[in-house]
Amino acid sequence: MDRLTKLENESIYIIREAWSQFKKVALLWSIGKDSGTLLWLCRKAFFGKIPFPVMHLDTTYKFPEIYEFRDKYAKEWGLDLIVAKNNESIGAGMGPDKGTKLQCCNELKTDNLKKAIAQYGFRALYLAIRRDEHGIRAKERFFSPRENISFLWNYKDQPPELWDQYKTKAKDEEHLRIHPMLSWREIDIWEYIRRENIPMVSLYFAKNGKRYRSIGCAPCCNPIDSTADTLDKIVAELKASPTSERAGRAQDKENTYTMQKLRSLGYM
Amino acid sequence: MNNQATKSKIVLIGLDGAPFGLVDDLANRGVMPNFQALKKQAVFAQMQAPLPAVSAVSWSSIITGQNPGSHGIFGFTDLAPQSYDLVFPNFNDLQVPSFWQKYPKIKQVVLNVPSTYPVKPLNGIHIAGFVSPDIEQAVFPTNSLAKLRELKYEIDIDSYLAHRDIDLFLENLFQVNQARIAAYRYFWQESDWDIFWLVFTGSDRLGHFLYPAYANPNHQYHTAFLDYFKQVDLVIGEIAQQLCPHDGLLIFSDHGMTENKANINVNYFLQANGFLCLDKSPGEFYNQISPQSKAFALEPGRIYLNKKGKYPNGAVEKAQEEKVLQELSDAFLQLEFPPSFVPMGGTSAGKSQKVIERVARKEQIYSGQQIDRAPDLVLDEKPGFRLRAGLNKNELFDKDIFTGTHTANDAFLLVKPPSGVDIALASPKAEDIVGIIDKFIK
Repeated sequence: MDRLTKLENESIYIIREAWSQFKKVALLWSIGKDSGTLLWLCRKAFFGKIPFPVMHLDTTYKFPEIYEFRDKYAKEWGLDLIVAKNNESIGAGMGPDKGTKLQCCNELKTDNLKKAIAQYGFRALYLAIRRDEHGIRAKERFFSPRENISFLWNYKDQPPELWDQYKTKAKDEEHLRIHPMLSWREIDIWEYIRRENIPMVSLYFAKNGKRYRSIGCAPCCNPIDSTADTLDKIVAELKASPTSERAGRAQDKENTYTMQKLRSLGYM
Repeated sequence: MNNQATKSKIVLIGLDGAPFGLVDDLANRGVMPNFQALKKQAVFAQMQAPLPAVSAVSWSSIITGQNPGSHGIFGFTDLAPQSYDLVFPNFNDLQVPSFWQKYPKIKQVVLNVPSTYPVKPLNGIHIAGFVSPDIEQAVFPTNSLAKLRELKYEIDIDSYLAHRDIDLFLENLFQVNQARIAAYRYFWQESDWDIFWLVFTGSDRLGHFLYPAYANPNHQYHTAFLDYFKQVDLVIGEIAQQLCPHDGLLIFSDHGMTENKANINVNYFLQANGFLCLDKSPGEFYNQISPQSKAFALEPGRIYLNKKGKYPNGAVEKAQEEKVLQELSDAFLQLEFPPSFVPMGGTSAGKSQKVIERVARKEQIYSGQQIDRAPDLVLDEKPGFRLRAGLNKNELFDKDIFTGTHTANDAFLLVKPPSGVDIALASPKAEDIVGIIDKFIK
């Protein structure tokens, strides 16, 4: 069996396993390539009709292309779409220019998600995170318990997942994060998108010598220099690229630099 | 200088981390002859930096004229609200306007002022100092970038070089300084300005890594240390020469520096005395703080009560706060540097001594709208001790590559007012600088 099919099978198994355990579950859809692929896998797992809501955490700072894409495919694929916004923070003017970028992320994404979980009573959430994204994500499990109020992830106290045996129960004060795509790498995602011809936001494809390798809020994402305007070219580019996918994300880049700078001067 | 010689100008020169005693001494000894000449015509005094004495806090006070309780910058690091997530406050987090935002009609060049990243549009030119992760967001207007690139301008010295090769570090330090001088000369000539800010940061870096080289003529890097201050002094002379009697000049540092006898690991002390519990030892992240913890420290010596409702694992109830604050103060004031400790390559420190001069409560040293976010206690250490807040330490005192450490009470301030303006400096503070410029303008 080829690698992509193996990954697809593993993900679909986890998606179905979680659905059989939790009915109050939702898929987080950022409209990026990873969650877009997860959405595709969910459609496959349930033969075209996803039986749970798909939630988009709307910071109101996303690229216009993202909103356009979301609305078009939510309709075309018959999704039960929930658009969650932290209206209180947005009303108070929170944005990337007010406070730190992390504060902005905390209020418009994390707090937003906390409120949505409380409002809809979700017991589990599907997320498209991958182990290769960041060092800390390498410690993730397919079924990962999170405390409801603080979202605390106690990575020291996680159930082992040997021989595909998963702990799919959560305590009352917890919800489960379900990560069907942990084993995927960035290159797998693009090769799978190419194989399945999954629709993707146009921002990923080069225009005037630039494209986005990772998308989110417009003020915090920087395009990379690229001429890859087709799926074939993106796959070829990734195979040759020495830099990490999140290198264009402002918050990650700035924090890493700042931390190193402060360390070099003995301030950390 | 541009050609509007009849219009009064103000020049502000910063020497990051240069102590009063050092510049006074170098001026007296002829290493800084131009500074010595200015001392005779100007007011020169020891200046107090806000606590904690680190550049992020002090420069924020210098450019706003406010104490940290108002401007809201309490260190290079902070925690995001309701969490233990470490964040790095920057210019966007400054809660009051900087001097150039306060006077938008005055044309200013702001070159290398620390903690002013990312830059915002202003009536003039702004090139932020360290920490500036992205040069494109450190320069306004962006069309100045091409010139800076041509001059091989760097925001900061690569301090990691000092960790592996002092010669390479010094080479880089002088290169960066030369490019900085070239940039100042270019903007001085080519732009229209009324106020010019120029900051040298090599003084602080030399202090951190080579402070013993200053006083010891036999030190391998003694000459290099003095050469840096000679270079800075040449610029000071060049600038002073170009100013007219009706122009104003201020030269100052943001904090002092002295030789580091030992590091004090504050979070280790809190753990050893039962105030702090981590769910893993040695710790790494603040989210390892367990619910048994009463307090924790952020760099350098900022102590925060682990308050219930304020932090995810907050434990200290409102009614207990006063008691815990008192216990912490008492414990820190008893802290002694033991005679048995012998720094690496050094000699015994001799008779044991108390290492904390004062444990300041936030209400004693701060005022303003941001005081709720301030550390509950700030340690004011005796000169020569360096407060550290790493969570991964396993001893109370240690020593590392950093041979210099900051001091709060011996920054310096030299003021040469425009003719006809009288300035008397009685115990100046960093936040007085804006008031002095205000006086020059009016």
